[in-house]
Amino acid sequence: MYKSIFSLVILTPLFMACGASIPPPTQRMADAQSAERSARELGANSEPAAQLSLKLADEQISQAQKAMSDGDYKRADSLLIRAKADAELAVAQAREKGANVDVQRAVDNSAAQKNTNIDQGAVR
Amino acid sequence: MRTIRNIVLLIASTSAVGFVACGTTFPPQDLVNARTAFARASAGPAQQGDPADMHAAKEQLDLAEASYAKDGDTQYTRDQSYLAVRKTELAEVVARTRQSNKDKNGVVSAMHADEKQAVAATSAELGRSRTQLATQGVALAAQGNALKDEKSRRQDAEKRAAQSAADLAKFATVKQEARGMVITLSGAILFESAKWDLLPSAQVKLNDVANALIKEDPLSKMVVEGYTDSQGGIPYNQELSQHRAQAVRDYLVTRGIASDRITSQGFGLTRAIADNKSPEGRANNRRVEIVVQPANPAL
Repeated sequence: MYKSIFSLVILTPLFMACGASIPPPTQRMADAQSAERSARELGANSEPAAQLSLKLADEQISQAQKAMSDGDYKRADSLLIRAKADAELAVAQAREKGANVDVQRAVDNSAAQKNTNIDQGAVR
Repeated sequence: MRTIRNIVLLIASTSAVGFVACGTTFPPQDLVNARTAFARASAGPAQQGDPADMHAAKEQLDLAEASYAKDGDTQYTRDQSYLAVRKTELAEVVARTRQSNKDKNGVVSAMHADEKQAVAATSAELGRSRTQLATQGVALAAQGNALKDEKSRRQDAEKRAAQSAADLAKFATVKQEARGMVITLSGAILFESAKWDLLPSAQVKLNDVANALIKEDPLSKMVVEGYTDSQGGIPYNQELSQHRAQAVRDYLVTRGIASDRITSQGFGLTRAIADNKSPEGRANNRRVEIVVQPANPAL
């Protein structure tokens, strides 16, 4: 009888400690949300590929928030790692779009400059 | 007995195949996607364009593979595979972005080079134009100076002509005609009748004429023309007028008129300026005319 009581007193806190060994992934949440904001600010919403990555990040952040409110911190942590990777990919895709726009602008400027030179009688 | 043994073997073989089939597990779709993505990226420009992110992607894929080998299809394996896909895609996107930036820089550099070349060529052309303009300016200035000199010379000549005309007016008739300034000297003050030797008094007059002519434009030409009245034959008068014109011309040369500027010509009884029937008319017709032709009538 004493042995059973002893076991209950000792083991119960141990089980409780194991369940609380994963803290709420608040830092991961902040990191994922920060990356998501960066992607949005870089115009990821206007580029289809980046838009898809951003949508995945948004969805997984929402799922992580729900998991956190359910106390499933492990699942939330896993989702936030994925969300951050998606948001970072969206950032890169938005930058790629910007770089492509810059290339086209440079090509257009070059052509316009050539025409201007010709119009102004620059010697070739 | 043998048939039973074969049946037992068949059952055993079928069971073994069944066990093997049940033991074979397929990798999770996320891991398959990660392998495919990484193989694609390895064969593409990402390997050269973004080796750091490709290295990170490879490490991530290795984690997924290790997890799958150790624990099979777990949530952790799927998460690591998912991250491997994303990191691989990130490497591809970064590599393409870098290439775009290189392309843009190439275009901009080419544009600047073109612009520089155009500016250099235009500057060179401008330099040539300026030199040409300066040369033209110098030529124009020289032309202007020449014109100015010519006008000045002309004005001087006009002044001298006016002065010489005033001097000559004292003993000769001076008229401006289309052929130039005409100085008319009476034959009576130059020669004895029927002779062409100059009288001593004539030489004094001709000295004044020479002085006046020297003041004329040095580029002008002169013609000494001899005329007679109608008395005597045409050949005689022609010869007489020629000799008289020549005598006056030679004397003027001795007084400083350049020989290449002055010529003589006899016209005999032609070109009478008065009636030969009266003594006064014949006296007027006996004359020597010195025609001073302008050097440049256009000015």
